Amino acid sequence: MATRRPRPSRAGISCAAKLLIRSSHGQHHHSLFTTRPRVSTHGLLHPSHRRPFTTNLSKPIQIYRSPSTDPYLNLSIEHHLLQHTPPSSIILFLYTNRPSVVIGRNQNPWVEVNLSRLRQKPLPLTTPHHHPSSAPSPNEQQPTSLVRRRSGGGTVFHDTGNINWTVIVPPPIFTRTLHAEMITRSLIRLGIPTARVNERHDIVITPSSDQKDYKVSGSAYKLTRTRSLHHGTCLLSSPNLGQISGLLRSPAEAFIKARGVESVRSPIRNVGIDTERFIQGVVEEFKSMYPTDDDEEIVVVDEEIARQEGSIVKGMAELMSPDWIYGQTPQFTFSTHPTEDDPRPRPPLPEGIPREFSAHFTIRHGEIQTFSITGLRYTDDIDAASQDLALSQALVGQRIHHITDWRETLQSASSTPITDAQAVGGWLNTMFGLS
Amino acid sequence: MASIARCLRAARPSGLAALVKQPVPRLCSARTFSVSASNAIRKYTKEHEWIDLAADLKTGVVGISEYAAKALGDVVFVELPEEGKSVKAGDAIGAVESVKSAADINAPISCKITAVNTLLEEKPGTINQVPEDDSHGGGWIAKVQVEEQGVKDLEKLMDAEAYEEFTAAEGEH
Repeated sequence: MATRRPRPSRAGISCAAKLLIRSSHGQHHHSLFTTRPRVSTHGLLHPSHRRPFTTNLSKPIQIYRSPSTDPYLNLSIEHHLLQHTPPSSIILFLYTNRPSVVIGRNQNPWVEVNLSRLRQKPLPLTTPHHHPSSAPSPNEQQPTSLVRRRSGGGTVFHDTGNINWTVIVPPPIFTRTLHAEMITRSLIRLGIPTARVNERHDIVITPSSDQKDYKVSGSAYKLTRTRSLHHGTCLLSSPNLGQISGLLRSPAEAFIKARGVESVRSPIRNVGIDTERFIQGVVEEFKSMYPTDDDEEIVVVDEEIARQEGSIVKGMAELMSPDWIYGQTPQFTFSTHPTEDDPRPRPPLPEGIPREFSAHFTIRHGEIQTFSITGLRYTDDIDAASQDLALSQALVGQRIHHITDWRETLQSASSTPITDAQAVGGWLNTMFGLS
Repeated sequence: MASIARCLRAARPSGLAALVKQPVPRLCSARTFSVSASNAIRKYTKEHEWIDLAADLKTGVVGISEYAAKALGDVVFVELPEEGKSVKAGDAIGAVESVKSAADINAPISCKITAVNTLLEEKPGTINQVPEDDSHGGGWIAKVQVEEQGVKDLEKLMDAEAYEEFTAAEGEH
């Protein structure tokens, strides 16, 4: 594999350095990024190519690691690095997240995720491989986080048995496979000889026991005018593999036709490598692709300072807002029955829902654009059809992710009490993960 | 769009082009074209967007180039610009997703978005079929209103011939 050497930039003062200068006030521990001593890299890295003209302040190659397992924080640190590192620099960033389902930029959470299960059932955490200085995770009992990332692609599951790696490069260096192959070479050197990049840019392994490919790492990309970001997962030792398939199977999928991106299911497996060994292996491989004369350069992000950095605060607020997670969903249509656009046969509706009942609605940017409900029964049953129409009209304009209980929403949109509000509303709650 | 057009091959940083042993036959000549008020003008950016500016220099249409569309692979979603928004040259105005990549679309010149091509929401593949078609049913992205700064920005862009040479030279690396 060819080594592509970046052009070292004298002009680009690294993001880390800037922040260090700005926030440290001479106190090293107050900076956003602190240089980690050679603990994990000692003896592994060989600075074989020395470039005497590279100064400490203009680092063309930067390696970061986050001690936090907060997915919103880690993705916001990553976005900060994408936006604020010098255009010619090459960045490696490594982090693990607490249990999270991470959907792609243009995906539909109601199609991709079993939201009821996600909200109800906290998953066990593995022992996080924290940097010694970090506090124990206060999130032990939190339910799995739902995250919409900024890159494309499909839905993946993270936990602390999974590691995320990010490489940010100038556009001319970028290819979709370059850094997936970097990870593959690391895995091979760490004793996984069958690791390879498949046609979907996933990394798969083929255990000799059954000669079948198992995905261990998925990729996604975010490309801006000046920077190209490739990030991926790698399942090392997740204790939750058995849960993932159920978590990523939505009861509403059969009723929704969505624009945007649908995930492709693949059988998955852990590679069974310790997090620290994996990090060492990847750093070593990264450094052999992009040699530097600095062997003390794994920088551990200071979580406290990161949480105060303006662009990270802003990034986190956006990633955590329902308007981003749900409101950024591409247009979709929910239909209880087959339609011309979506002729798939539908699963039977549960008992208690009237036989004549049907619902068909379109959501754009989280907002109900059209709503048509028919076949409901009302306690005052003089003209059910016009009641259905009035109810439908009252729902147009509501934001789907602001609805917390469809039973209440249906009832309060109707001027007449609805006989079936519990049954129909309860079923819609199940569909939208509110039960 | 900067990176996506290069994603199908191993490219080098453009700054290193001079070190390439094989000769680079043609060089980018970005400034050989002057703005003419008599005809509609088409110009391209290095990041592979195009703009058609009407003869009156007041309105235009923006899209991504055929070269970029080919390199993107199957476009599965287009995040359209926000109508009414004023942007500067180089600002991200939307994005296209293909093969797991969310790639920014950038404003070729300073302009105000007046309309977006909603057809692309329904049929994102139109970008692959007719990316440089600015008519109804075409793969154009947005219609824009242009003022003095926008016309000035145009000078930095390439005409069709220069763009072709630019992409040919890129492809050889």
